[in-house]
Amino acid sequence: MTPPVLAAAGITKNFRIGRQEIAVLRGVDLSIAAGEKVALLGQSGAGKSTLLHVLGLLDKPSGGAVRYDGRDVHTLSVQKRALLRHQHIGFVFQFYHLIPELTALQNVLLARMMGHSVLGYWGQRRTARIEAEALLEQVGLKDRLRHRPAELSGGERQRVAIARALIAKPRVVLADEPTGNLDSTTARGVVDLMFSIQQERGLAFLLVTHDENLARRCDRVVRMRDGVVVS
Amino acid sequence: MYRLFLALRYLVTRPINLLGMAGITISVWALIVVVSVFTGFIDVVQRHVHSASADIIVSALPTWATWSKLQPALRDDENVAASAPRLLHYGILLPPGRRPDPAPLPGRSALNGGDQPFLFVLGIDAAAELQVTGLGDWLGAPAIPPADRADAASPLAPQDGLPAVLIGLERMQRDGLHRGDVVVLTTARFARTDDGSSVMPERLQVQLRIAGAFKTDHGGFDGNNVFVDRQTLQGMLHQDQPDLVQEIVVKVKDEATLDETAARLQRGLARALERNLQGFGSVMTWQQRNAGFLQSVEHQRALLKIVLIVIMVVAAFLMLATLSMMVTEKIADIGILTAMGGTPRGVTFVFLACGLVITSVGVVIGIGLGALTASYLEEIRQTVRWATGVDLFPIDVYNLDRVPCSLDALWMLQVAGMALATGVVVSAIPALRAARHDPLASLRGV
Repeated sequence: MTPPVLAAAGITKNFRIGRQEIAVLRGVDLSIAAGEKVALLGQSGAGKSTLLHVLGLLDKPSGGAVRYDGRDVHTLSVQKRALLRHQHIGFVFQFYHLIPELTALQNVLLARMMGHSVLGYWGQRRTARIEAEALLEQVGLKDRLRHRPAELSGGERQRVAIARALIAKPRVVLADEPTGNLDSTTARGVVDLMFSIQQERGLAFLLVTHDENLARRCDRVVRMRDGVVVS
Repeated sequence: MYRLFLALRYLVTRPINLLGMAGITISVWALIVVVSVFTGFIDVVQRHVHSASADIIVSALPTWATWSKLQPALRDDENVAASAPRLLHYGILLPPGRRPDPAPLPGRSALNGGDQPFLFVLGIDAAAELQVTGLGDWLGAPAIPPADRADAASPLAPQDGLPAVLIGLERMQRDGLHRGDVVVLTTARFARTDDGSSVMPERLQVQLRIAGAFKTDHGGFDGNNVFVDRQTLQGMLHQDQPDLVQEIVVKVKDEATLDETAARLQRGLARALERNLQGFGSVMTWQQRNAGFLQSVEHQRALLKIVLIVIMVVAAFLMLATLSMMVTEKIADIGILTAMGGTPRGVTFVFLACGLVITSVGVVIGIGLGALTASYLEEIRQTVRWATGVDLFPIDVYNLDRVPCSLDALWMLQVAGMALATGVVVSAIPALRAARHDPLASLRGV
């Protein structure tokens, strides 16, 4: 069996609201292997997005451990976690989160600039540009490179977000309801695109969704309820 | 790399940021131009004041001070090139039969002089004075018409039986006087009463003939002083003290050691007078003698600096407002930047870089424009006067031939440093606010 790229063991996460402490995650275990597509299914408030944020090193768990290649990553410094995020994890969000001042190409290149000094990036700017253009071509936006997000449709924006998530060649992609804001036809196209790239690159893929049909297309479905994995 | 790239993109897509930049540019420009003009003005004023003064002035001498006793003490000093005695008096000098004009508004005489009838009468030994001060240059000033020029060799020789007087050119021209005209000096002297029991002031009027005009670069000096022969003044006022000296002017060989020389002369003076001076006998350099006037100009410069720095503070607040608005607008980007591998420090730098770029560009443009304006100020003044009739800097008032200006590299560096420091502070406030924002809140759209 392929060893997991990403593994979470006994993850708990509590939030304090006033004097009350609310347990959002109550001991979640989850692992994803390279090339595996996992769907995380559950109702609103089940703790899916919180778990995704913890797995993506955007939030710290209250308890338990998250391991990348067997290494506990939440014990690392802020800088090292940021670098790990940049090098190993790609995010796709429901609301795209593109930077409106940048063109599609610049949005993708921005992710490539992360972790590089001005001089360090300057030396590889041509390669970076070629790679970004190739990725945007792969997601079907060859003719939309210089368009800003406001000039793109919802599906196109999500494709830019996918290209941005992949530019740094991550091993893990975490997608938080990536089709939640798209019509069904566009959503199907976006999902097909994501899955084909996932297969091509052998990515570990975690998809947070409400959509049973979409979840069924994944290798494995993990269901959550009230902060625990139920199946 | 992403920090600088993003900062520049944020800046170029928001023209409102030009407001803060313009504010910084204007304040830096104003600080450089105004202070350069004032620095140039102070240089000119110092040069003018020095041109009308000896290097060192010994004054406030006691009544027992005599020239024969003090001269050797000065002559023996290694740095003294020459010295000359003076008697000091005061009075009103008018053509016969003319009444004095009403008193002028106070203040003008410091720079201009010549508009009040009351003046100081300096009794000098012309030959000695020529060795010490610029008397020779003052008498030969190009502005003096040939008909009013004094005899350079013996400018205070009696004129047709009357004692000679040298008057400032402006005063002569204003009063319509010329060389050879007679003027009356009205003054007072102390005389013993007939019974010898007390000393009372008595009026004294002396007719003098104008031997010529003098002109220094310091209008205040020309307007407030006239020269007569020391022996004449001594005969009028101090007949019983033929060797009396009330002020001594000194020329030094090396001006670099002026303060040390003055201190040495002060000690030598105390020894020469052989008594406890009790506050008498003051040896001052020309700067110390005119310190009040020179410092008043310095104070004006300092005051203007404060006013202009306030403009910079206002510009900084403008920048703070625009940057704060930008952070509020861009708070949504913080989440995705963090997701892509950004850190709170990186987010801080993005917004800090925005402020620093605004400030740096503002400073560079401000310094460039300021240096350019200061360098061509006279040409700008003339152009504005030609185009609008408005004189931005009436140079006649200050006895100048062009707008003075002196660019000070150190001051420009200080202004740049001050602006950049201000920029860092006002950028840091919104930048830190952005860095403290929870990236998850941004991702959730909160």
